[in-house]
Amino acid sequence: MQGNDHSVVRAVLAGDKEAYGALVRAHSATVFQVAFRIVGNEADAEEIVQEAFLRGYQRLESYQGRSAFGTWIYRIAVNCALNRISQPGIEPEYRHGEESNPEEKTVQLAAQDADPERVLLSREISAAQNLAMQRLTPTEKSAFILRHLEERSTTEIAEVLNIAPNAAKQAVFRAVQKLRRELAPLRGNA
Amino acid sequence: MSHLSDDELIELYYAEGTSAADAHLKACRECSAQFAKVQRSLDAIGSAAVPQRGPDYGDRVWETLRPQLIPFEKKTLRWRGWTNWKAAAMLASCAILLVAVFLGGRYWERITTKEPNIASTPQATQRVILVVLTDHLDRTERLLVRLEHAGLKDRTDSAQLQSEAQELLASNRLYRVTASNAGDPELAGALDRLEGVLAEIANDPKLSTAGIERVRKDMNTKGILFEIRILRARSSDQESGLNTAKGATI
Repeated sequence: MQGNDHSVVRAVLAGDKEAYGALVRAHSATVFQVAFRIVGNEADAEEIVQEAFLRGYQRLESYQGRSAFGTWIYRIAVNCALNRISQPGIEPEYRHGEESNPEEKTVQLAAQDADPERVLLSREISAAQNLAMQRLTPTEKSAFILRHLEERSTTEIAEVLNIAPNAAKQAVFRAVQKLRRELAPLRGNA
Repeated sequence: MSHLSDDELIELYYAEGTSAADAHLKACRECSAQFAKVQRSLDAIGSAAVPQRGPDYGDRVWETLRPQLIPFEKKTLRWRGWTNWKAAAMLASCAILLVAVFLGGRYWERITTKEPNIASTPQATQRVILVVLTDHLDRTERLLVRLEHAGLKDRTDSAQLQSEAQELLASNRLYRVTASNAGDPELAGALDRLEGVLAEIANDPKLSTAGIERVRKDMNTKGILFEIRILRARSSDQESGLNTAKGATI
């Protein structure tokens, strides 16, 4: 795929605009996923997908093929999402797993057939978790999402956020500690 | 070995821990219990459900995007239509020009090597680096001092602080990489810690007095400020040392 992407990029740069469509089709779902996880709502995530591919096209001449096109566009998308949540007055929104279509859930805190008390507690935990996520700084939040949900390594996080690996690691540590501290009373452990 | 820290336990959770920490975890019941707690709390932090995109999502994105894109210009070879003899003449002219430039360069080098090239001596280069670094450390120190005593009156204050932090962040990254490549772990480490503070300030969407207090507490800005002062003193000493050395040779 990577080699194929490189030849598509060359075709686009040679004037074949339509070839860029293949790259958009191949990577838009991944880009949407990370954008949604950072900004927390569908409309903004879709805008970020558009913005990332548009910026990608405008900067395509600077793409040197050292990393896969997918990694490159992913990095652009994370930066667009980071800019979006860094804008004053814009708060990320997070949907609760329990409120969405059950088939779409990736992680569930309570089973479908759980008793009402358990479902209620689960919702409470989910709401507290979202609130705790909102209290993280943009860097901490992005680093944590990339590490915990996107399962990226420290080196990849550093590369995506354009910070030193140690700074990326520290951002993850701080995020985890803050989240654990905020959620400890609900879970009944330290 | 002392017990594992929270950070080490988090690293182990994400399978990035050291083998020594892993071995300790297997042998120590206390750390195992602590690790189980970390594991439980992190396992419970799930993602908000990511809405699935249909198989035609890529097509939809492309349809919206396509009208906004301007095709890149084809890089055609203008001299494709030239006859062979014209191309050969062009190549020959280029070769003659290259030889002339090379010989001229050799001659120029011979007549100018008699004069000492002060700007390219290692001492001069080091002095330039020290001056630039001292300036960076000065600015950083001022920013940290402002941070220590900040009471942000309005949005202009925080915007000013953030724009300065953004500027410093870019240059700090460059100095950190340079220091690391030059084998100066002390300077690289301090600049690395400083980078964390600068990134936090630069990326905070609503920098407030409470936010600054949090950065101060979480990232020990007092400690970093102290480190910066020591490093600044060190670079000033080196700079004056170089000046003295230069004076002695003159």
